[in-house]
Amino acid sequence: MSETRRAGRAAARPAIWPWLAPALLLLAAVYLVPILDVVRLAFGDATLLRPTQSYGLDGVGDVLSQPALPGVLWATLVFTAASVAGILGLGLFIALLVVRGETRRLPGMALLRIVVLTAWVVPGIANGLIWQMLFSEAPFGALNSTIALAGLSPVRWLSDPTNAMISAVIANVWQGTAFAMIVLYAARKGLSNDLYAAAAIDGAGPFARFCFITLPQMRPSILVAAVLVTIQTLNTFDVILALTGGGPGRATEVLSLFTFNTVFYNFDLSGGSVLAVILVLIALVLTVLYIRLLVDRADGRP
Amino acid sequence: MTGRRAAWLGDLATYVAAFLLVTLFAGPLLWLVSLAIRTPAEIFLGAARFIPEEPTLANFEQILTDRTFGLYLWNGIKLCALGALGALLTAIPAAFVFSRRSFRGASVLMLGILTVQMVSPLVLLIPLYRYMERLNLLETHAAAAAVYMALGVPLSVWMLKAAFDAIPRSLEEAAAIDGCSAASVLFFVTLPLAAPGMASAFILNMLMGWSQFLVPFVLLSQDRLQPISVAIFNFAGSTSASTTQLLAAACVITVLPAIAAFLALQRLIVGAIMAGAVKG
Amino acid sequence: MTHRFLRILGAVGAACAIGLPASLAAQDLITRDRVGLPDAPNTMTFRLTAFDLYSSDAATRDAFEALFTAFIEARPDWKIETQIVTDNIGQEQARLLEQTRAGRGPDCAMVDSSQLALFKSAGVLAPMNAHWSAAEIDDLFPYVRDAVTNGAGDLLAWWWFTDLRVLYRDTRLVPDAPATWAELEDAARATVEGGKEGLLFNGGRWEGTTFDWLAHFWAQDGRLVDDAGRPVFAEGENREKFLAAVRFYEGLVDAGAAPPRVTSIVNYDEFNAAAAAGTTGLFIGGNWQYGQLRGTLSAEDFAAWEVSAIPGPTPDQRATGTGGWTIAALSDDAAAVEVCADMIREIYSGQSNAIQGLLPTSAAQYEEFDVFEGPEYDVFAEALVDGQARPGVPIYPELSNVIQIMMGDVLSGAATPEEALDAANEAVQAAFERL
Repeated sequence: MSETRRAGRAAARPAIWPWLAPALLLLAAVYLVPILDVVRLAFGDATLLRPTQSYGLDGVGDVLSQPALPGVLWATLVFTAASVAGILGLGLFIALLVVRGETRRLPGMALLRIVVLTAWVVPGIANGLIWQMLFSEAPFGALNSTIALAGLSPVRWLSDPTNAMISAVIANVWQGTAFAMIVLYAARKGLSNDLYAAAAIDGAGPFARFCFITLPQMRPSILVAAVLVTIQTLNTFDVILALTGGGPGRATEVLSLFTFNTVFYNFDLSGGSVLAVILVLIALVLTVLYIRLLVDRADGRP
Repeated sequence: MTGRRAAWLGDLATYVAAFLLVTLFAGPLLWLVSLAIRTPAEIFLGAARFIPEEPTLANFEQILTDRTFGLYLWNGIKLCALGALGALLTAIPAAFVFSRRSFRGASVLMLGILTVQMVSPLVLLIPLYRYMERLNLLETHAAAAAVYMALGVPLSVWMLKAAFDAIPRSLEEAAAIDGCSAASVLFFVTLPLAAPGMASAFILNMLMGWSQFLVPFVLLSQDRLQPISVAIFNFAGSTSASTTQLLAAACVITVLPAIAAFLALQRLIVGAIMAGAVKG
Repeated sequence: MTHRFLRILGAVGAACAIGLPASLAAQDLITRDRVGLPDAPNTMTFRLTAFDLYSSDAATRDAFEALFTAFIEARPDWKIETQIVTDNIGQEQARLLEQTRAGRGPDCAMVDSSQLALFKSAGVLAPMNAHWSAAEIDDLFPYVRDAVTNGAGDLLAWWWFTDLRVLYRDTRLVPDAPATWAELEDAARATVEGGKEGLLFNGGRWEGTTFDWLAHFWAQDGRLVDDAGRPVFAEGENREKFLAAVRFYEGLVDAGAAPPRVTSIVNYDEFNAAAAAGTTGLFIGGNWQYGQLRGTLSAEDFAAWEVSAIPGPTPDQRATGTGGWTIAALSDDAAAVEVCADMIREIYSGQSNAIQGLLPTSAAQYEEFDVFEGPEYDVFAEALVDGQARPGVPIYPELSNVIQIMMGDVLSGAATPEEALDAANEAVQAAFERL
């Protein structure tokens, strides 16, 4: 008996490397050379106009000592933290709301999902068109004329440095929520109803069920969503580019937009590569941090 | 009695919240639609007019009768479907190993895979072009699709691992006792249970591929190879006359295949759960 | 369930593998990516904007199809393979540079006039000297001639249309054209008293902000870069001129003659919307907006709008920024360069200006075509004499970037003009070192 069992287990254990091979080979074939090239460029002095002429650490020092960099990193932190919190919070809320509606067989939940999804798949080029009209501070601007109906005074959505950041976060959350919604909806759908049935017998209220069943059970998916949304947000710049271009001043210039400017305004390919490497390091640190926060405290298994 | 009343209040709250959310998310989209149904004369009114005085469907007509619009859509569907499919197929075995085996370096490898997604695509664009040019793979859908696949792998591995982790091992062990190989356990036991996670990974890959701009922009410069995400710029801009209304209409139309794919695949998630419930 | 899922995936894959027939009407002389017959032995590749041959406007497209058809029928051995330029200018120029270096670039391409310097200094442009006479080159506006030729006297591109910035005013509120900064501020205040927003101008983070504002700096003969291409705007007398122009804008916002929202304006269309909504009486915009206003405003309202030159500090000090598009040859193949040059001459230079109402780059062409007879063209042609192109140096895009940042900081009150200028200078000098 025990022998059969052992044999069965051994047969069911996938071998490690052959099973990893397809994914690893694909990634290596497509990305290994270009990524190594980025690292190489980071230690050189290449521009878009000429190839690297010498290697060294001077370029790295030049990039890191730019006076604008601390402000840019701060803007990145604010934008990323607010966007990730907003996207995850709203995505989770919508996912749970839709699941509740479906459980209760309430009609119309599909509409909510479709509208949220549409915001995500609208081509990036539409962002500029839409948000310029919405946040326009002209007397006829869409949002300002709407709030004027409620008797409120107009808001300087984009021309005030602080508000500009808030507006950029709003636009980004609007666009990005669908991602978290899809991941978390599937995760919630995957939870067994038995747990909830047992909790109902114990007389647990909705809040207790959320805290003691939904959140802990969904932790692995929340981790994945948090990691992926953070990485995407760190690399996002098209929403900001369309909305404020990084302004006023540098108020909304996040690291990815700063990288864009370095490469395409300065033609500084090596400088851009240094910034890209910094961005990877930030993303790695954050990912490890999330894993610590969300996994290690629990049972150790993500 | 109180239970029913609480449930009724809960339903009301659900609808209030849903209504607010729909308003929040649909508002900006309605402005896009407003632009899409304007005549050129009204386009420069911008935010000053929401409902056009002379609404028109001519912009949609012009886009839909464009000889090449269908080709751009098809290129887009082809690239993102191939990309999503390839990413999923390569990620499934990898995620299964990460979920079921613990081995030295597993977490470093997981992070390493994710690093690919962290490198700024903007900066990667130039080395990627040079690499593909050396391989003589520019202007081919095969190379572009391979990049789409690779782009989807990190996300798929991470999502599928989470999905596999959530599946109790007792079922797999039972199958293993029956003498199933790892591959058949994965195929007949684990994958059916992980269908919601797989479907959402596929959806996310599809939709991210659908809006991918940089990769096809760099790798494909021939018009007939371009997916809609790049070709939409063909409807943008003019030196004097406004084409914003056409661009807005093209954006609205571009969204539709993505929604259709989403709805079809979401149905699979719900269906999978129902099937699981019956089995369980 | 999984099986159904996999079946669907399989079906998608199979459909992809088979592929839809991508056949277009094969014998058309003009398709989305070709002009001429598909089996013509010689090929010239041409990268163009979607503004003309592939315009969404039927009348424009028809006119260009006729021109291109005549052109290619006269050269039956040739076909032109076309590629479209997107308006992502940054990525577009990087792609074009990379492709050209890899030997995969087009033979002939439209290049935004502000990007031309980059391609000149990268050494990828083929001279077209043989195809234009010295007299024709001499007839170009001075800023155009400087931009398209190099030190050795080679003609490296043909700048086929230009544009400029002017002051638009609603004559019901501002009857007379302001001639100086002080008059402009007074006029703006008058419109504010009339319930309008005051003077509108680009002040956000985009190229238009720098370019439009530079008129005030150039009007004082300020220089952005020296002959070696080094930024000198923060040195010597340039510094005072620069600060004077910044303080002028700062003063407008502080005095309420311009609304604080100018730091959020990153689009010329914003001015059209304000004019159409009747919320502004004055703005600094592009010459092409005149035609847009004609199509947007009622006839009565449109009649009230007039254009004039952008005021300088004194009536004698005037300048205006000029842009537009060039066409350049990037090929080693002399025959392809010749077809490119012929195409510029027969289709773009002159003809194309007239069809699209785009300003020609030589005085003679204004006489040649009837389209340019309206009173607004007199204002434009007169202002073009004071036209200034952006300096043709690779540092310009970064220079523009730091000026946009400076403008946002000053107009939103985050920095004084002096602080902002010093920060801008420090950033641009560091970038120049690395370039």
